[in-house]
Amino acid sequence: MSEARAAAEGARAGTGTVLAPASGARQFWRRLRVQRAALVAAIVVALLVLLALTAPLLTAVEGQDPTTYHPELVDSARGGVPVGTFGGMSADHWLGVEPQTGRDLFARLVYGARVSLGVALAATVVEVAVGLVMGVAAGLGNRWVDQALSRFTDVVVALPLMVMSLALLAIVPSDFPRPVLVASVIGLIGWGSVAKIVRAQTLTLKQLDHVAAARLSGWGPWRIARRELLPALAAPVITYAALLFPVNISAEAALSFLGAGVKPPTPSWGQMLTSANVWYQAAPQYLLLPAGLLFVTVLALTVLGDGVRRALDPRAASRLSVGTGRRKETRA
Amino acid sequence: MRHPSRRTRRVTTALTVSLIVTAGAAACGPEDNDAKAGGADAEPHKGGTLTVLNSDPQQDFDPARLYTSGGGNVPSLVFRTLTTRNREDGAKGAEVVPDLATDTGRPNKDATVWTYTLKEGLAYEDGTKITSADIKYGIERSFAAELSGGAPYLRDWLVGGADYQGPYKDKGKGLDSIETPDERTIVFHLNKPEGEFPYLATQTQFTPVPKAADKGTKYEEHPVSSGPYKVVENQNDGERLILERNEHWSAKTDEERKAYPDRIDVRSGLDSSVINQRLSASQGSDAAAVTTDTNLGPAELAKVTGDKDLASRVGTGHFGYTNYIAFNPKVKPFDNPKVRQAIAYAVDRTSVVNAAGGSSLAEPATTYLPNQKSFGHTAYDHFPAGASGNAAKARELLKQAGYANGLTVTLTHSNAKDFETGPEIATAVQDALKKAGITVKLDGLEDNDYSDTIQDVKSEPGFFLAHWGADWPSGGPFLAPIFDGRQIVEDGANFNTGQLNDKSVNEEIDAINKLTDLDAAAKRWGALDKRIGEQALTVPLFHPVYKRLYGKDVKNVVISDWTGVLDVSQVAVD
Repeated sequence: MSEARAAAEGARAGTGTVLAPASGARQFWRRLRVQRAALVAAIVVALLVLLALTAPLLTAVEGQDPTTYHPELVDSARGGVPVGTFGGMSADHWLGVEPQTGRDLFARLVYGARVSLGVALAATVVEVAVGLVMGVAAGLGNRWVDQALSRFTDVVVALPLMVMSLALLAIVPSDFPRPVLVASVIGLIGWGSVAKIVRAQTLTLKQLDHVAAARLSGWGPWRIARRELLPALAAPVITYAALLFPVNISAEAALSFLGAGVKPPTPSWGQMLTSANVWYQAAPQYLLLPAGLLFVTVLALTVLGDGVRRALDPRAASRLSVGTGRRKETRA
Repeated sequence: MRHPSRRTRRVTTALTVSLIVTAGAAACGPEDNDAKAGGADAEPHKGGTLTVLNSDPQQDFDPARLYTSGGGNVPSLVFRTLTTRNREDGAKGAEVVPDLATDTGRPNKDATVWTYTLKEGLAYEDGTKITSADIKYGIERSFAAELSGGAPYLRDWLVGGADYQGPYKDKGKGLDSIETPDERTIVFHLNKPEGEFPYLATQTQFTPVPKAADKGTKYEEHPVSSGPYKVVENQNDGERLILERNEHWSAKTDEERKAYPDRIDVRSGLDSSVINQRLSASQGSDAAAVTTDTNLGPAELAKVTGDKDLASRVGTGHFGYTNYIAFNPKVKPFDNPKVRQAIAYAVDRTSVVNAAGGSSLAEPATTYLPNQKSFGHTAYDHFPAGASGNAAKARELLKQAGYANGLTVTLTHSNAKDFETGPEIATAVQDALKKAGITVKLDGLEDNDYSDTIQDVKSEPGFFLAHWGADWPSGGPFLAPIFDGRQIVEDGANFNTGQLNDKSVNEEIDAINKLTDLDAAAKRWGALDKRIGEQALTVPLFHPVYKRLYGKDVKNVVISDWTGVLDVSQVAVD
């Protein structure tokens, strides 16, 4: 049914008929779709996610796994540099092998993607969840609640992420699952800015008629938050989350680079960068592959995040004339 | 114990703290003596300035405070000692030879009294005569609390050493167990037999210090030279040290130091990768440069070996050192010898060696003693794992031990990027043990935390990565701290990782210490090592090898097996 309606709309657009305002989600997709950079970024991100999700399948196709040593594939007398050209790239090892160990680089990269993307995603979810709760509570609460929560948020915002994460990661027992720990630490230190945005939005929304009406009719704060605030908060929060995600990927990589991330032999891009940084001359692909992937991922996510922001921003809507049918209309 | 600076690395074992200073200078050079002259020309060139590029500064440049092996490298240019290490390439370099003294010491029958006679014509940088009383004074001041830093042996060995507070207290009271019957004779009275006293006499505490010039803690600003060079400038506590020729030093009294350059400029505080980069570029003054504390890492080696010019400027050094898996039998399941043996069988030394930098930077080890004659190395392989591990044999032993369905254990390691006790080695062990049905969980600790944990008998884990190097190339300082039951330290840094207290082992250590024939002693140390090895308290993994890069104008490269580094006293520059 919806397909039929879309077709009908398309037909109407083609004839230059004025469109009725589209629903939220549809309008969002339409506005996102017309930003070419965001579209490319979305495709790249989708591919990366696919890569991470299908890592076991892909490595099975390749016939390798990320942890098995292949001492015969490295030149032991030369410091363990991979044998062969381009870091030992072959039909068996698509992207070559890791110096010193001979572990398969392709397998380590795709499994590393799971860690990098997974940890960053989980951290973002934590940030959004905590930020939403704190922000809404501060916005809806009385003066004291607001003061207390806002000051607390200020403190959290002021915490230096790297220093705090390193300190926290050092004191937690080593048998605690590391990816969960890293995600929680990044998330629990990074929610401050989400909370600030949510609080500000809540304060604005609180003045609006429909919220005021709900309050007057005796709704509790929980119901108001759920029914009246959350739908309106979705846009800014999603926007901000989209921008936080690449930041979290970098944070995970940095923590792993500093040795505080996931534990060996689990691969992660940041960890690969640490061991690879001395090999930039002797085995450049070992450094360039994780560095390149990290770069592409963060760039794609940032561009996509920006696209999401523009698509959700009501003020940008007027500037985004394309895709709403107006351009064709004017041309006509 | 001492630790060679492999890359820029903090010494992790307690006693090694200031080793850095000494591990210093050696470039790399051809291994055979024929190549000693470096280039084609016969006599090395005299004169010029040698630059030393180091990561660790020459901190506390006072002979009382330096912790050296064999007198150190840069320190030994300024400080002569009663005996010193033989300045020759390879194994010959692990011998102890006379320096200020006419011989390596004359012991009494049970090696508790050692007598030395000074050579004639010895003088300080100001021309005044060096006397035996100055050597006595130099040793005495090393007992002063404010001049701490040296090795603990003098305090342990000299009669009355344990209570002596140094010459600054009690109106300059001296140490009666050191006698100087005349200007050229010095006699040491020890509280127990120590056949290896000549090795100890290579340390800088045996440097003469003229009492009149002693300024206590300020003496390090300008220590009076007895060697071929004197200090003309010392910036930022040894960060930059400029040495110039000491005109009163005579090659006639010193067979060991060649002292070809006129000037030596030591620059420290550099990153190890910067040092190797500068040496490989060899531009300007770096062409006549060496390093005494930095070696090539695996990636740097890979690059250097791909370049003919660079490859010709790499020397190989060996230093008595062993990296091993340590077990604490007080922790289950490592109380069971079969479990320890299973792990010994399962270890894949090929992947461990690769993780340590490959076959050029590490040699697989099956003995605890380093594979050098001076340590008394006696080959054995009680639990032959072959090149890549014997998983079948390991499984069989595990079955006998009651772990037919496999076993899960935790391996403690450091997070240091030093290719020694770090995650690279740990994962290589983990991978090998997996094949034998042993699941290894890794517990990586931050560097300081790691040393504290493994050296405290209360927190010592059951299964961890460790390493050991000795203060001099002999079996004594290598085996005794690790396997002598009386050296288990309850409160403080303990190195007896297996917490072995075996009466027969302790007695054999005492018996060997009585020997003054160092060759005979070496054989007994080797036999003792082989015997202890049967208990599988350790799994020796590898002995490191050091590759030293040097500048293109550097000639006469000598690297002894004592230090494993290029000896700055032998280097000539064009």
